[in-house]
Amino acid sequence: MSIKKIKDTFARMYRNSTYRLWLWVLGFFTVLVTFIKYKGMKGKDKFASIKADLRKELEATTLQDELFAAALMQVRKKNEYFNKTVSEAETEKQAKEIAVKNFETILHDKAKIAAEMQGVNEVTMAACFAELIDNKAFLLFSLVLSFPMYIVMVLFQNPISKYATDRMVMMIFVLFGVVWLVFTILYISPMDPALNILGQTATQEQVDQFNRIYGLDQPYLTQLLRQFRNLITLDLGNSYQGNERIIGALANKFPITLEVTFWSMVVSLGIAIPAGIISAIKQYSSFDYIAMFFALLGLSIPNFWLGLMLILSLSIKTGILPATYQPANNLTLIMPAIVLGTGMSASVARMTRSSMLEVKNSDYILTARAKGLPENKVVLKHILGNAMIPIVTTIGAQFGGMLGGSSVTEKVFNINGIGSYIVERQYIPDIPVVLAGVVYISFVVSIMNLVVDILYAVIDPRIKSRMKNY
Amino acid sequence: MANKEMTKEMAQKQALYQKKVNKRKLSGSLEYTTARLGWQVTLALGVYFLFNALTKGGVWFAVAGVYLAGFALDFIATQRIIKEVTGDAGEISATTRKLGWLMLPFVFVGDFFMFIAGAMLIKKEKNMEYQLSVYSLLVTIFILVVSALNLFKEYVADTFWLGMGLYGLYAVLNLVIMSAVNKYTFGKKPDKKFLPYAYICIAGLALGNVFSFLLGIIALGKYYNKNEEVSVEWIDVIRRLFRNYMSCIGMFIVIFLLSVSIASVLTFDYDIAISNNFSVRLAAPSLMYPFGCDQFGRCVFTRIIFGARISLLVGMISTLAPCIVGGMLGAVAAYYGGKVDNIIMRILDVLNAVPSILLAIAVIAAFGTSTTNLILALSIGGIPGYARTMRAQVMGVANQEFVEAAKACGAKDGTIIFRHIIPNSLAPIIVRITMGMGSAVLSTSSLSYLGIGVEAHVPEWGNILKAGSTFLETNPYIAIFPGLAIIIIVLAFNYFGDGLRDALDPKLK
Repeated sequence: MSIKKIKDTFARMYRNSTYRLWLWVLGFFTVLVTFIKYKGMKGKDKFASIKADLRKELEATTLQDELFAAALMQVRKKNEYFNKTVSEAETEKQAKEIAVKNFETILHDKAKIAAEMQGVNEVTMAACFAELIDNKAFLLFSLVLSFPMYIVMVLFQNPISKYATDRMVMMIFVLFGVVWLVFTILYISPMDPALNILGQTATQEQVDQFNRIYGLDQPYLTQLLRQFRNLITLDLGNSYQGNERIIGALANKFPITLEVTFWSMVVSLGIAIPAGIISAIKQYSSFDYIAMFFALLGLSIPNFWLGLMLILSLSIKTGILPATYQPANNLTLIMPAIVLGTGMSASVARMTRSSMLEVKNSDYILTARAKGLPENKVVLKHILGNAMIPIVTTIGAQFGGMLGGSSVTEKVFNINGIGSYIVERQYIPDIPVVLAGVVYISFVVSIMNLVVDILYAVIDPRIKSRMKNY
Repeated sequence: MANKEMTKEMAQKQALYQKKVNKRKLSGSLEYTTARLGWQVTLALGVYFLFNALTKGGVWFAVAGVYLAGFALDFIATQRIIKEVTGDAGEISATTRKLGWLMLPFVFVGDFFMFIAGAMLIKKEKNMEYQLSVYSLLVTIFILVVSALNLFKEYVADTFWLGMGLYGLYAVLNLVIMSAVNKYTFGKKPDKKFLPYAYICIAGLALGNVFSFLLGIIALGKYYNKNEEVSVEWIDVIRRLFRNYMSCIGMFIVIFLLSVSIASVLTFDYDIAISNNFSVRLAAPSLMYPFGCDQFGRCVFTRIIFGARISLLVGMISTLAPCIVGGMLGAVAAYYGGKVDNIIMRILDVLNAVPSILLAIAVIAAFGTSTTNLILALSIGGIPGYARTMRAQVMGVANQEFVEAAKACGAKDGTIIFRHIIPNSLAPIIVRITMGMGSAVLSTSSLSYLGIGVEAHVPEWGNILKAGSTFLETNPYIAIFPGLAIIIIVLAFNYFGDGLRDALDPKLK
């Protein structure tokens, strides 16, 4: 990265109040030195002297009086229109404020023009930074002391990575919010975890000891801060029952959930996208009606009922497939994949159809046909390509939701995944596990949303070009 | 030679064109759309019952016979309609219309598709009021039929005959109203004589009959509409809704379940649904127990009927509550913009990051299993969705001239938001509410199935299913029927919502 680009990025970031804060936090020493230099130079450089000369010049003219008269008129007219009675002194005070503000603006603009003619720049933070960074020693000093600032600057070079960084920061705040929300809900719960775990017969000493071990005797804020610390260190704490590390338990169950999710994605996309395309191209045909009826049916079937019916017909009555999930047996994955895939393919097929129908009648599709493109190219490249955004959104949302474990389906097929883990523990209720589970799933869902948003820029040139100006 | 080919090609084009014209004519004919779906459904059910009869025999043969006869009748009627509508006359003949009378009685074996098709066929001129009165009568008859199944039980509820009498009376009233509709409502404005009937119709809401309620307020709305040249907007929306037959069916099922949960107070015995009766433990489906009995000898059919009440109640409250809260937050955020918008939306982002079913699990883990907590849990999760929809909509509306005009007139912010902006941005919210009720029913039953929804002893569809899943191997019907009930109600809400979306679409206005 060249020095010039660093300077540009600094100037751009310093203009925005949020990013200015980032710069101060991440590169405190560098920005502090720059700020001291800026304060020292301000008012002593050439631009300031040009401005001072100009001020004297303008004060000699009648400009100030003219501005005041105009402002007075403006304030009076305004009060007259709104039928307000304001004392003369108040009116004049308001007019004076407006006049001074206008005068300063005019003065600044004129000074800038004059300075530009003489080849002098106004002193700004960016200019100070540019001057400082040309000094090799300072560059080294600031690289060592405020390297996080430079990392952020590198990320801000590319619009997509800048967008991703912005979203990641937002996501971290959201995650803290989620911890606060869920912790508060669980904190104000009328239940006593100690009695739930130890049983009703527990003595007061046992209860006190339990509360001491898990820090439940501490005030709300201390407990909340501990949860925040857990989130920062990615520790998530220990469960009440069995006192196991929750992060380890979640990591153990993640591969199973991922496997089930992957296969249901394969099932659902394999059905949904072709069905949606055919329905959209042959709108109002019998295929369209039947496919959309099944899609709506798929949306309306409860997962557990479909699972039970599959078990009834494929396992109990005919014995083709085993009824419960076994990790070593791939055949047992078929039914869960079908059950989860049905609901998902229903919404994806509906979305594919409706978004393709919107694109189908656009002028550019007519152009594509008119220039003699083969039909399948028109459909797949032009119609489907331009209808991709809502489809990807739906798929991403569903994928994120499924990665969080689908507790109901997991329970039907006895899959030992994340969803059923959380549900099992909430019967106790094992508060840390519920909290950690919610945080984990919110994290996965947020990451999926981020991935989808970045995918937009990759698949849609319109969004890509808009992002360039971001 | 070339000439011959030309004429052949011309003829082909002509045929294609004729086909398209016929298709358009048929799809515009209410008689055709209702009759077609009628024979399709009747045939499917008839074949299913026939298969049932082959394995179980007995009474199933009779049922299958009735359904197949109905199919034959409806199919013949459909073919005649196709011939006559696409024929030279372009109109359905009087003989075909008479077939409609034969189709009406099939409602007593539960085939309401045939009833609707018949009612649409017998009358030549049909307005929205006529359709509403048909559906209103259908709901009442259907309640009578479903309640009459109780007659096969050992005993009926104390209030059974009172309920049957009340609904029987209302059915007669419905017939009277129907003839009044035919007499008085075909003009631009309903006749003054129709007003007393309109008030009776509105009173029908007490029985849960929303169709008759709609009929009443539409008549009043039309009567008191000052400018005859301008149609009332909400009446137009309902008219467009009635153009879509599937959404009418969806609406019918929702309204039927609503009325049956009111009617069940009188005509069904809550004892049969909750008290144990071990002499009929796990009894197979029979006339006395249409859907069989569960492991405690409780009638599954009665339990499902009482389950409708809870599903609808939870569905409605947990959709309307977040809609009101979320809608207001969204409207305020969009109207004020800037910092207010930022704060509200960031807080809602936190809620949005947690999947609603998981939030429900957390809330229930904290406060325990109960219906109130379930409603609370589902409501909180629904807020951000409604807020986002409302915000997007209000952002579009808030920049329009009429809002600026209201501001220039010096209206207060509250007035502008509630009087001008919200009524103009309700359409997507209404669609979302309809769909949301369906998914709330699904979430309720899912949570009940996991054992963390409604209390286990309450007859709720998810609870019945959970009990049934234990006996899947030996008594699968306990799990099958509540599942079908859930599917039907969610499907009905979805079709209704789809129809509403089309009816509210500004492009179609």
